[in-house]
Amino acid sequence: MTSLETHFEVQAFLAYEARLLDEERYPEWLGLFTEDAHYWAPGVENRGRSDKEGTYAPSRMAYFDDTLDDLRRRVTRFTAPTAWAEDPATRHLHVVSNIEVEDGETAGELLVRSVFVNYRGQGDVDAATLYGRREDVLRRVPDGGLRIARRLVVLRHAVLPAKNINTFF
Amino acid sequence: MKDDLLALRDLDDGWLDRRVFWDRDVYELELERIFARCWLFVAHESQLPKPGSFLTTWMGEDHVLVVRRRDGSIGAYLNSCPHRGNRVCTAEAGTARGFVCNYHGWSFDLDGRLAGVHESAAFGREPTFDRSKLGLTPVAQLDTYKGLVFATFDPDAPPLRDFLGDFAFYLDVMLDNDEGGTEFAGGSITSVLDCNWKIAAENFAGDALHAGWTHASGAEAMLGRGVAGLSGDDTESYHVNVNGHCWEFNLDGVGNAATLGDRRIIDYLRANEARFTERLGPLRAKMVGSISSVNVFPNFSFLPGQNTFRTWQPKGPHRTELHTWVLVNRDAPEEVKDAWRKGAMMTFSPSGVFEMDDGENWELATRANQGVVTRRQRLYYGLGSDTAIEHPELPGNVHRGQVNDANQRAFYRRWSELLRAGTWDEVPS
Ligand code: FES
Ligand SMILES: [Fe+2]
Repeated sequence: MTSLETHFEVQAFLAYEARLLDEERYPEWLGLFTEDAHYWAPGVENRGRSDKEGTYAPSRMAYFDDTLDDLRRRVTRFTAPTAWAEDPATRHLHVVSNIEVEDGETAGELLVRSVFVNYRGQGDVDAATLYGRREDVLRRVPDGGLRIARRLVVLRHAVLPAKNINTFF
Repeated sequence: MKDDLLALRDLDDGWLDRRVFWDRDVYELELERIFARCWLFVAHESQLPKPGSFLTTWMGEDHVLVVRRRDGSIGAYLNSCPHRGNRVCTAEAGTARGFVCNYHGWSFDLDGRLAGVHESAAFGREPTFDRSKLGLTPVAQLDTYKGLVFATFDPDAPPLRDFLGDFAFYLDVMLDNDEGGTEFAGGSITSVLDCNWKIAAENFAGDALHAGWTHASGAEAMLGRGVAGLSGDDTESYHVNVNGHCWEFNLDGVGNAATLGDRRIIDYLRANEARFTERLGPLRAKMVGSISSVNVFPNFSFLPGQNTFRTWQPKGPHRTELHTWVLVNRDAPEEVKDAWRKGAMMTFSPSGVFEMDDGENWELATRANQGVVTRRQRLYYGLGSDTAIEHPELPGNVHRGQVNDANQRAFYRRWSELLRAGTWDEVPS
């Protein structure tokens, strides 16, 4: 059982992270990850319950299957002045909820589950809503703060109801 | 019907009528005369590894169930129950011994035959009930080309090899550069774009022009620099097309592959260059990973090098469902295959640093035509009007220079021919 204080700390951490994404503060957002971080958002397939292959798997296609360097590359695109599709800026809203915190497998790590909804408005009338579940491993670092060491994002969509994902979850 | 529109009379002069992207009746005719008649890509054989393997996909707006049968052959059927029309298979992929309809429990075997019915006593008393006539409706023809499975609803469609024609020579660049053939790396990703399907298809058919501009930020992310100009006098590059199938390319060998930003892929291509040359000859060996893009008419596209394979499924005149896969050589080392899987997703998936910039352009290029006055304004497709050449090695219609509209014009010419033809006999070959 984690303390009230830890739960509160995690909740504040995730809310801050969501705001960084809403405000497109990508370099700061990258700073929330450990150097060895893995960020994985598998493609979700519409498969039967008895299908042993499962609805997602590491060997299959993914929206993100990223090391920190991969994430940095994506941020390079987002912040390039030639990213025409990002100007005017997309109006992102990341809502994070249903936060559960427990001790991780490794000392100094927490296993954090949450759900998210990403609403976005783009251009004049373009809008999309993406949602899913997340499972994070947060690691306590020497300065006392928390960093994301692992994130699994499982979208609830088999057909992504949008033309792209121009943010992170 | 608007014969005048379908004739695209100004196309040879480099002009396209915008109504082709907007009108509902044009779209309905496309479903009948293109999607219900042409050979369409439905699967890669590797997606159906054993008897009972199945997947569901689209042929036009018809939902289709593709299965590996007991005898190893592949079948494809309308995924709609002959009883009341319900979808028979509700998963996108998996393994099954047969399919049972959820509505009244009719069951079908892998050959599509009606195998059993619920309350069989009632049906047994019914003289009009003939089990042999109530199977799933099969496609008219199904065939494969080097791992790719195609099907057509039209019994009169020419054989797949004739439909592809000399384009097979080019397809071998991707499908036959290695003895072990190819496979899809695993899984697929599907997304939706509010654009006309042809805007995406013609982009892959010939639009090298957009690469350096639209994708400047993606190139910055993956290469640390923009895309170099593609139309200099010193570059050797082409538009080629056969029967409306289009390939634009240069001969830089690894220009597309380099955008994946993974050394292992470049090393693999370089290490195998001699083998590619042996199988394909020196010219085609340089196309394996070069700056290029391809559309197999009507809606099956891919990028050599990035190895993203995709279909643009029509969902109305202003909506397209994009299905994507990653192609790899079956005998490539596992870590190389995995590098391709990751690289293709990093660049060309809905979250990919290149793909991300296409959708918005295509959606807005579609939506603009809602305006009745806007729709009257022709679009410029005039690049490369005098670039046709004869080439000693390259078959089909060959044009010099990949910054060109020759393939796009060929794509719409084929579109026009098919929409105006009542039967395959009337389609110019
Ligand atoms: S609709 Fe399929 S069994 Fe009735
Ligand atoms: Fe593009």
